[in-house]
Amino acid sequence: MESRVKEIIARVLNVDLSKITDTLSSGDIPEWDSVGNLAIISTIEQELDVEFPLEDLFDLTSVESIVQEVTKLLHA
Amino acid sequence: MLKALHSTLLCDIANHATATPDKIALVEGDNRITYAQLVSRIEACALFMQSLGLQVGDRVLLSAQKEKEFIYVYFAAHLLGVVNVVVDSAAPRERLDYIVNIVKPAACFGETGVVAGCHIIPFAEIPLDDCCEAHLKSPRLQATDVADVMFTTGTTGAPKGVCLSHDNISGSASNTNGFIGTKTDDIEALALPLSHSFGLGRLRCVLSVGATLVLVSNFANLKSFFTVLEKEQVTGFGMVPAAWQYIKRFSGRRIAKFADQLRYIEIGSAAMPVEDKRLLMELFPKTRLCMHYGLTEASRALFSEFHANAANLESIGRPASSLVDVQICGEDGQRLNNDVDGELCVRGNMVCRSYYLDKDNEEAFYGDWFRTGDWGHRDENGNFYLTGRKKELINVGGEKVSPAAIEEAIMSLGVKDCACVAVNDPNGVLGEVPKAYLVKGETPIEINEVKSRLAQLLPPHEIPVEWEWIECIPRTSSGKIQRLKLKQ
Repeated sequence: MESRVKEIIARVLNVDLSKITDTLSSGDIPEWDSVGNLAIISTIEQELDVEFPLEDLFDLTSVESIVQEVTKLLHA
Repeated sequence: MLKALHSTLLCDIANHATATPDKIALVEGDNRITYAQLVSRIEACALFMQSLGLQVGDRVLLSAQKEKEFIYVYFAAHLLGVVNVVVDSAAPRERLDYIVNIVKPAACFGETGVVAGCHIIPFAEIPLDDCCEAHLKSPRLQATDVADVMFTTGTTGAPKGVCLSHDNISGSASNTNGFIGTKTDDIEALALPLSHSFGLGRLRCVLSVGATLVLVSNFANLKSFFTVLEKEQVTGFGMVPAAWQYIKRFSGRRIAKFADQLRYIEIGSAAMPVEDKRLLMELFPKTRLCMHYGLTEASRALFSEFHANAANLESIGRPASSLVDVQICGEDGQRLNNDVDGELCVRGNMVCRSYYLDKDNEEAFYGDWFRTGDWGHRDENGNFYLTGRKKELINVGGEKVSPAAIEEAIMSLGVKDCACVAVNDPNGVLGEVPKAYLVKGETPIEINEVKSRLAQLLPPHEIPVEWEWIECIPRTSSGKIQRLKLKQ
């Protein structure tokens, strides 16, 4: 799942997969701006068939936190 | 101390460095730069640029990275009479190449990518040691000389270079500060991009008034943005309506906890729904909520403060200062009466005098009135209202996108014909987004393939969100796309 989420983030932001480290956070690279973040969230929701609860979005600021959230939602 | 009578902005900054040398001008992460240091580094940077042989009127390509060195180069160029061409280095290569071919820069600063035949200087390689100002030449310059060239989206797809003079940019800062009321003791968080007129304008407003500017990468990480608001005791910031949609969706009403410390929020670059204006008024009852209407060519022409104009929130405001005139013109350039729809035309201290290329100046002005291409009217009380847009641009969260540029990219992928129009963002965040109508060519191609190949040609916000195959694109007898028919 981790690699799938990272692949989506890299594809949506149009950056090399090697840039998508666990600690990379929104705002760290110019490509990951608010429009990029919206695209990441909606693409993950569509492609992985999950729905992020609105109250959790505020904390989804890093690659690691998004991976953890997706894992949690898929196992809920 | 720096001498630049042609630039009111530089004079203002120099005066702050003299009066309050230890006042913090810039905050970038843990770095704090005082006004005295700011001036000293602008001078050091100017000396370095001079040593590169840069002359008055030379153009430099300046990558709009949110770093303090950007600010040093930006003002150093003004000091020397060198013209800044501020670009977003993340823009598609074709767009940057087009700009380079037109302006023929003498040097490039920051991460501009490879530019043929041009000296590229990364920000980290600029020597910023204290310099002796005696070594700096003082060229004779006028306030009307061009300071910056900003490229905006043209309706034909090719970007247009807007030539802004020193008096244009200081005029805009002065009008804006006068309306908003930004003061020396304000601390502003700058999360807007510097490659746009709005963000660059905020930078100039804050430094010209002697306040403190905190550089923030963008709004994407709201947790980090709120930490900055708290840690730096920020008193103001600027945002586009799409950023507000984003803040609402990703953080709910958390931002309201800063209501007592935020003295002002400037909003602009796209329309904002009235219900959002009301929500802002509810969350920030004491904050000046100032929304501007303007273009790169005529920055901050109109202003409206929501609380003061609560009965009239549909209006886009009144002229920003006594030095700005706005009128509604008919097709012949004549002023129209109140309540009659026509083209908004602007003149004033911040209105550009010309575009970089002569061909772009054709039909851009009625005398000294700049034609905005936006349609609307004025009521008997002097409030202006927008009712439509003559230019066919799509406003994606404040980013102006040319449908022609998207169509050109799509056509290059083997589609027989296509047309793009603005539709409402189905996610309710960006305001408008592009929708593409396609006509199948001889080689079959799926929409998913068009989308993925388009990602190599266009920035993400220009990629259509909605797609539809149709039999043929409606066109006039001269071949022009009838976009209104598609919208219907």
